[in-house]
Order: sequence, then C-alpha cells, then structure tokens
Amino acid sequence: MNIYLLQLVNGIGLGMLYFVLAVGLSIIFGLLRFVNFSHGAFFLLGAYGCYQLVQMGLDFWLVLIVSPLVVAALAWVVETYIFRKVYHLPHEMHILITVGLAMVIQEAVILQWGPVGANVAPPELLQGVVIWGDFIYPKYRLFVIGVGIVLAAALFAILEGTRLGAIVRAGSESSEMIGMLGVNIKRVFAAVFAVGVGTAALAGVLAAPIRGVDPFMGVEALGIAFVAVVIGGMGSFIGALAGGLLVGIVQSMMSTLWPPGANLMIYVAMALILLVRPNGLLGRG
Amino acid sequence: MNRRNFLQLSAAAGLSAHPVFSFAKSGQLLVACPTAMSGTFSSIGKYSDMGMKLAMRHYPEVLGRKLNYKMIDTEAKPATAIRRVQEAMQQDGIKYFPGALLSAESLAMSKEIHRSGGMLITNAGADEITGVECNRSTFRWALPTYSLIQGSARPLTEIVPEKKRWYTITPQYVFGEDLLRNAKDLFKEKGIEHVGNSYHSLTEREFSGHLMNAAAAKADVLFLLNYGAQASDALRQAASFGLKEKMTIIVAAASGLEQFEALGADICDGVYFGAVYWHTIDTEMNRRLVKHTREDFGISPNYSLAAPYVNVHMLVTAMRNAQSIEPAEVIKAMETLEFEGLTGTEQVRAADHQVLRDFYLIKGKSAAQMKDKDDYADILHAGRNFLPAEQTRCAMA
Repeated sequence: MNIYLLQLVNGIGLGMLYFVLAVGLSIIFGLLRFVNFSHGAFFLLGAYGCYQLVQMGLDFWLVLIVSPLVVAALAWVVETYIFRKVYHLPHEMHILITVGLAMVIQEAVILQWGPVGANVAPPELLQGVVIWGDFIYPKYRLFVIGVGIVLAAALFAILEGTRLGAIVRAGSESSEMIGMLGVNIKRVFAAVFAVGVGTAALAGVLAAPIRGVDPFMGVEALGIAFVAVVIGGMGSFIGALAGGLLVGIVQSMMSTLWPPGANLMIYVAMALILLVRPNGLLGRG
Repeated sequence: MNRRNFLQLSAAAGLSAHPVFSFAKSGQLLVACPTAMSGTFSSIGKYSDMGMKLAMRHYPEVLGRKLNYKMIDTEAKPATAIRRVQEAMQQDGIKYFPGALLSAESLAMSKEIHRSGGMLITNAGADEITGVECNRSTFRWALPTYSLIQGSARPLTEIVPEKKRWYTITPQYVFGEDLLRNAKDLFKEKGIEHVGNSYHSLTEREFSGHLMNAAAAKADVLFLLNYGAQASDALRQAASFGLKEKMTIIVAAASGLEQFEALGADICDGVYFGAVYWHTIDTEMNRRLVKHTREDFGISPNYSLAAPYVNVHMLVTAMRNAQSIEPAEVIKAMETLEFEGLTGTEQVRAADHQVLRDFYLIKGKSAAQMKDKDDYADILHAGRNFLPAEQTRCAMA
C-alpha cells in the first residue's frame, strides 16, 4: 500500500483521538463562553485515573467508563463552586483561574505519582496489530477510531435530536434567553461542563496505552486541543471533528513529506485557515 | 559602644559575610549540585539529590573541612541556571558545582563558572562541553556522541551482522545531529545501508508516522537516536506497531533505570540500549553505591543518582591529591586524576577534561527472566571508545 495512503489512515486515527480531546473544549466555549485552560489537566487526570485503576486490577473496559465519570463528577464540583463565580469576569480572568487550577492538578499528580512517567498496557483483546498487505496498524488504534466515531455519532444525536441538545444549541446563541424561558441554566452549564471535561478525561484514558502517562502530558494535549478547536471554529461540534481530523492528517502526512516539520505544520495549517476564515472552518461570525 | 567599636564590629560582620569566608565557613566546604528540581525534568533533580546525600555520607569531610551541599534548581533553563550559579557564588561563596546533567544549561553554566573562577563537573551529553566550548574549569563524566555510537551500534553490528538495512529516527538538535553524523560514519565503515532517517522536533510525542516510514523502508534495524521521554514514546509506539517482531530495535542512549520502570519489561524485552551507567556493573564502588542506595532509599541507583555521586568522589579525590581546596590547584589535580570509579578504573584526559571510561550495550529481558524488580536488562558489551584528543576540536581556554 502506498505510504501516503498509510499515513492518511494513521492521520485519521490520530485525528479521532484529537477530536475526543477537543470536542469538550469546543462545547464548553460554545455554551459557557468560558476559555478552559484546565482542559489539558482534566485529560491528565483521566489518563492517571486509568493508570491507577488498571494498577489496582480493574478491567480496562470498566476503567474506560469509570475514570471519565469520576473526572466529570469532579468537574461538576469545580464548575459549581469555582468557575460559576467567575463567568461574568473578562476572559483574562478565566485564563488566570483555569491555568492556576491546571498547575494545581499537575503538581498534585506529581506529588501522588511522582515526576517519572509510566506505561499502561492496552487490554489483551486489543494487543497486537492488524496486517493487510503492507498495511500494519495496531488494533488498539483502530479501537480508538471506533470510539471516536461512536462518540461523534452520540454527541451529534444528542445535540441535534434531543431537547437537551436544543437547549445547549440555543444556549450557545443566548444563554440569557434560555434562562428567561424557565430552563435551569445553571444546571445546564454544570452538566455541559462536566460532559465536556468527561470527554477530555475519556481522551486521556484512550491516550494512556498509546503514549503512556506522565505529569506533563496535559500541557501538550491542551495545545493540540486548542489548535483543533481554533481550526474547526470555537463552539462548533462538527468543527472540532473537522479540526481534529485535519490536525491528525497533517501531522501524519508531514511525517513522510517533511518529518521535522510534522508538528510545526499543524500550526502553519491553523494560521492559514485563520487567514482565510478568521472564525475557523465552521465557526460563527 | 563607641564609634571605634562600632566600626570594628561592622567591618567584622561585613567580612564574615564575604564569599571568601563563607566558602569555608566554620570549617565547612559547601558545594552545589545545579540541576532541574522542577518542571519537565524534575525527576532528574529528585534522584540527583539522593546521589548527593549519599556522597555527603560517604565523603563527610575533605582536608579537615566538613563537606556539605545544596541543590540549585535550574528549572532546566540555561538563563535560570546562570542566575542561580551567580547567586550561589556571590552569596554562599560556592566554587564547586558537581552533578549537572542537562546539556544546554551545562554549556551556559560552564562559561559562567569558568569566568568566575569555579569548577563544574557535568554529566551532560553535548559534544561541545569537551569540544569547541571546552574550558579549564569544566570536566565531564558523561560521554560524547562518538562514544555512544561506537559503544552501542558497533557491538550490535557484530551481534546481528546479517542485518544491513538501518533506519534512524533523530531529534533535530545538536545532540541528535551529532549522533546521526557518527552513526553514518559507522554505517559507511561497516557497509550498512542507511535506508532512511526521520528527523523530528524537540516537542514531538507522536511517532506513528515516522515508524510507518521505517516499516515502509523495510528496515532490518530501527535505530532510535532520541533521548529520554521521546525515546520512550518512540519505543512504546514501535512496540504497538509490531515493529519489535519485524526488526531489531536499538536506543542509542538509555536515560537510565527509570526509563525501564516507566516502559515496563514487556516493551523493553529484546530491545538493545546504549547505557552510560547500569546498576549491575560489577565494580567495588558500584556495588557499594547499589547497596547503600537500596538501604537508604529502597531503590537501585540510576544515572541521575550515580552521576552526582561519582562527581563528588572525583572532586574529593582531587582535593586530597592537591592538598588544597583552591580551584586552581584542584583543577590541576583533576587533570591528572585516575580513580577507581563506578565503571572501573576511570581517568581524566587533560587535553579536553573528558573522563575516559566504559560505555555499555544492554539488552532488555522479559518479566519472566527478571531476577528482581530492577533486573530489566543484561549487559552484553562494555568498552571505551573515544576520539583522539586532537580530533575533539577542544582548544583548552
């Protein structure tokens, strides 16, 4: 199989992971107009939750659900007792507070698990590779693609086909209006924040068997998530999917075309898209 | 108190605070270990502190002075490292800096310490330290890239002589470029076909694209020239792509035991690593270090712990040989130093201040083969390979 076709498939695999990572950030900004710089730290918590629970002997399949749920519950508490009090403040304050929280989480992880990284093995069922002619691909990464597709479909169905989705979409246009219509907007905000952070934690769990865990993985993830969201358009669910896929494909294709620029070209792609479409591919004007 | 007494007291107080006096205050000799205690490389500082603690216990005094140390957090930033070194020299009168480990900050500190009349013993990998940027105040226990390639890839070419197609993955900065240049020279000499190279940036954590290039090139050997977390990520992902079954994998320079702990035996099994230090080296000093590290900290020593320990040993031995704690005298003694170190008889080469000592090729083993929790690898080969001093481009300043 042509190397570029291989890289395209690999890029889609990477892109789906980036989508799972970025979609929560995008949804939170869309509804809450809140710039969450602690998103990467919740990704980190999800990954370490996976590591800890697997170490304790829990089945990976259970961990895949438990870790994001625990982190989402934590996010609900954080939203209720900290972030809710600062939504009315300028974005600069959002950045200050969320960066502060991210640093606290990162240092807490170092205190608990130490500064050295650790490995998380994929579940036995997903170990090994799929071989198709020249195409060799880890089963686990195919699984991640599958999870990304399922998550995208589920989120699409919820956002486009349910009353909750209608509230979220309407809230992203005008949260005051939704509040005046009798919807408990505070609870909706908390729920959306928890779901957004839960997807970041899910991305952390999914990433752990691919790249291991280390206390600094959140910072790197945050950078990728922001690029995907900015490319796709802040607040757009489909935009996060498009942005994630574009970042993954660019990174993978560039590994063959110009390997040292694989990372750099992600940011070049972002800059080019912003030049043509300042609000991102699917962002609102 | 009259005016005369006041002036006398003030002068005495001022003099006692002067670095010359605090340097050997109350019969104490204070040295500083400048390394990253926070940030991405904070694990280095944690282990280096343990190494320094053990060194202070084993070398409690030198020439009648109590030896003591302080850790300096460089934050892995050259500018911070320089500032902290200046503070240590000016405020504490510290002249000796053993235990540095990171290349960029070591190069920066080397110049500053040389300018200020101190002495640095570093364990950093950059060739410049004992090459174009060498100076009389800086000594290096780590090995140059030439030695890393000769000590890892050369013995592997003899272990698997039938494997003639090598693919390299290289970080695009000075250390990586130097490794690649030396590797290419070896390939040429050994008739090895270099079927491809993937450069990557220093921030790269996703290697799947590069690994697919290596698979597509049908390489026999995957040679990872990156270091630390990047080498771990590349190796972990290579294992997940099934490359361990398709080709021999070698990491030019393992960062230490903690890398094996982070990766686990399953990933390291069957993989070759170059190693600057390994805790099973069979020498008297290393046996002693392993014993005490296990007793005191419940772990086996890794490179970040062992390097500052042996640096202090070198420093104390040189001071005793010189019968002085004055840097000029100690540097002279260092230049002719030969000592029983962690890797056997080690020797400082006066021409470039490089410590001549062994480098190791080790091979990871399976969990079932491990005799204890740290027995991740066997030493397959030990040897010392150095460029002749005249080829290092060191013009000693």
